[in-house]
Amino acid sequence: MVDITDPKPTKKAASRRDFLKAGLLGGAAVAASAGAARAAGDPLITEIQDWNRYLGEGVDVAPYGKPSEFEANVVRRNVPWLTADPVSSINFTPLHELDGIITPNGLCFERHHGGTAIINPADHRLMINGLVDTPLVFTMEDLKRFPRENRVYFLECAANGGMEWRGAQLNGCQFTHGMIHCVVYTGVPLRYLLEEAGVKTNGKWLLAEGADASAMTRSIPMEKALDDCLVAFKMNGEALRPEQGYPLRLCVPGWEGNMWVKWLRRLEVGDEPWAQREETSKYTDLLADGKARRHTWVMDVKSVITSPSPQAPVTHGKGPLVITGLAWSGNGTIKRVDVTLDGGRTWQTARLDGPSLPKALHRFYLDINWDGSELLLQSRAMDDQGLVQPTKNELRLARGENSIYHNNGIQTWHVNNDGVVENVEVS
Amino acid sequence: MLKFPKSAAFAVLALATLSSPSLAEGDADAGQKVFKKCAACHAVGEGAKHKVGPELNEIFGRAAGSAEGYKYSKAMIEAGDAGLVWDAATLGEYLTNPKGMIKGTKMAFAGLKKDDEVANVLAYLRTFSQEAAAAPAAAETGEAPVETAAAAAPPEPAPAADMVVEKSQGAFGLGRKALPEEIAAWDIDIRPDGTGLPEGSGTVAQGEPIYTDNCAVCHGDFGEGAGRWPVLAGGQDTLRNDRPEKTIGSYWPYLSTVFDYVRRAMPFGNARSMSDDDVYALTAYLLYLNDVVDDEEFELSKENFASVRLPNEANFIADGRADEPHYAKSVEPCMTDCKPGPVEITARAQVIDVTPEGEGDENSGGSID
Ligand code: HEC
Ligand code: HEC
Repeated sequence: MVDITDPKPTKKAASRRDFLKAGLLGGAAVAASAGAARAAGDPLITEIQDWNRYLGEGVDVAPYGKPSEFEANVVRRNVPWLTADPVSSINFTPLHELDGIITPNGLCFERHHGGTAIINPADHRLMINGLVDTPLVFTMEDLKRFPRENRVYFLECAANGGMEWRGAQLNGCQFTHGMIHCVVYTGVPLRYLLEEAGVKTNGKWLLAEGADASAMTRSIPMEKALDDCLVAFKMNGEALRPEQGYPLRLCVPGWEGNMWVKWLRRLEVGDEPWAQREETSKYTDLLADGKARRHTWVMDVKSVITSPSPQAPVTHGKGPLVITGLAWSGNGTIKRVDVTLDGGRTWQTARLDGPSLPKALHRFYLDINWDGSELLLQSRAMDDQGLVQPTKNELRLARGENSIYHNNGIQTWHVNNDGVVENVEVS
Repeated sequence: MLKFPKSAAFAVLALATLSSPSLAEGDADAGQKVFKKCAACHAVGEGAKHKVGPELNEIFGRAAGSAEGYKYSKAMIEAGDAGLVWDAATLGEYLTNPKGMIKGTKMAFAGLKKDDEVANVLAYLRTFSQEAAAAPAAAETGEAPVETAAAAAPPEPAPAADMVVEKSQGAFGLGRKALPEEIAAWDIDIRPDGTGLPEGSGTVAQGEPIYTDNCAVCHGDFGEGAGRWPVLAGGQDTLRNDRPEKTIGSYWPYLSTVFDYVRRAMPFGNARSMSDDDVYALTAYLLYLNDVVDDEEFELSKENFASVRLPNEANFIADGRADEPHYAKSVEPCMTDCKPGPVEITARAQVIDVTPEGEGDENSGGSID
């Protein structure tokens, strides 16, 4: 971005108003003595910059802060041809622009089936009914009086990568892998709420239901519900965003995103699963022989290099290059990530950095000295159960190409001599 | 194979006999009912927002394609730029034959078939247009179509003062006992064995007009799906094909899911608006469209429901991922000389080029879900 031959804007006797206007125009530069400045060094250093002289905005200009205007391209994006209508559609987290393991709230991908429900928390109710001693209704106020926990979890849509079964399709890790986010949730262990109602001994299943226009429902086995599920009202410290289920959502750690019912309004205890639309017509995995797997809940061990990637090409030429990416597993923590530069002939173990939490994203780095030659980049994750991320071809061999869901195959990025990156598949 | 060719012929006839698009005085109350056909896609009244289609407040006198914040088709914007303003005549023409009037409009609606329906829905819309000098009071009471049906309305937002509130008996004593009426209002799920089914019944023949009026705009007259809206019928014996078509008849394991889902979520944008008998009739009609039943007089009811089986039930199996060879072998992954020779590129995304870049969204490379 910073080009030292760029002439610097000069503003003689600029008023504050002029300054703001120019700022909005962003880099609309007035020609100055660029040549002289170049000889004398970087004018961004040798000359006093406007932001170094004139006062900036006061504290209350943005009561709720926003990212810098120079980050305007860091946004969720959708793929319009995937679905008939944006009211029942999906968009994708810009993974290629992010670092660390936490996804900012405004960038968490969205998937809803009947649009974003807008619910005043004072009007929200959570009901527990079915095979319980006492069917109960909670207000949000009631829920906030139970003991809470804070947990970092990834949430991945089972269809993440679903478009790639037939071969490399979408040129960007935002699109191939962006149906995932990872935040810290604050909520009440589901166990406390179920115990409050008293689950009967034949209560083996739980139906979770949303309050939105699709009244989304999923069956969850009771062991999972009593194990680590949370009923969450906060993400990254603040209230859930409306598109993430405000005021209340279910967290089903390590399991497919569709089960994390948003706008959670009802939990029913039963003795058998309900075979709802989202666990029959959808979220079942069709195999080549015409059979379909159901109840494929766990998200498998997976990783992807987020930079370089098609939307994050190498712009700096040869020399030090940071290769970075994300790894995760619905089984627990990530034990190791290996990276190859030559399409899988030789591998080296990457450096994991940052917290390593079960069922959360892990960040990895491989710092190399790029000689400018072509690269075929891949990452391969291994989790603490010893499960290793398979190749796309291994998955196709086992399942065919029409499973849609649970594509955790190894991703390949081709980096050419100019640093341009493309989504490819290799022999 | 045409299902109910009778009604298709009728539609053509009705269109042909339409006299003039500018219509006589309509009845706003009757129009409110007609608007149910629009409510899946449009909102009108106080606080109305854009849905699948733009909000329709102040539509009389509004230039076509001009509602702020709504993404129109190119065709609609061009029509507006060319001077098309909505009034009784232009609306009448558009609503009887949307694609005929504006080629390329993205309103996936076949058109109203009856003169009086058009007149009535216009009278209703007029009550939300200042320009048309309607009683302003009407605008305030006109929210009904944007809300869910009163029949299925959830309990009062806050418990009424005189409601008997029984505290929870649990360890924390938080929450209160749910009332039977409250559970009945929300607990509408149905299981494959029929548990949860309400009283009621409906036949294939009864389901056909209900489907045509409420579902066909999106799902097609025969469940074939209009545009990219979901396909509901057909696709038998395609599950092993290169491009399988998964429908109720070809894929779904249980009929209970059809009843449950239609009742809770359809029609899209106007959920919980069908009576239980309507849902029985629609479910029967969907069985007919999928060739699971072939008798138009077939009646589906609470009593015979669980006896109807869908053809693909036996093909659902347990999660077998752990047994796949790549997981089962559980060996240390290879680190060096893992492939015999230099690696070749076998496929490239740029060849397919379906990545969105601002405009140009008409690609179709597959679908999620
Ligand atoms: C399946 C969804 C759907 C249904 C049902 C539907 N519409 Fe539309 N309507 C749309 C869409 C989408 C547009 C935008 C068209 C475009 O941009 O080409 C639209 C546009 C319109 C417009 C033009 C608005 C403007 O701002 O220019 C009017 C008027 C309208 N619809 C009225 C109706 C009425 C009345 C009904 C019911 C009799 C109805 N529509 C049923 C989807 C629908
Ligand atoms: C405005 C368009 C629209 C109308 C009208 C509509 N639907 Fe739908 N329908 C949809 C959409 C969109 C979905 C998928 C929703 C999602 O993504 O979860 C759907 C899904 C379905 C499904 C599940 C399909 C599958 O393969 O999983 C069934 C069954 C269905 N609709 C039945 C009906 C019936 C019956 C009616 C009439 C009472 C109706 N729909 C009216 C848009 C519509």
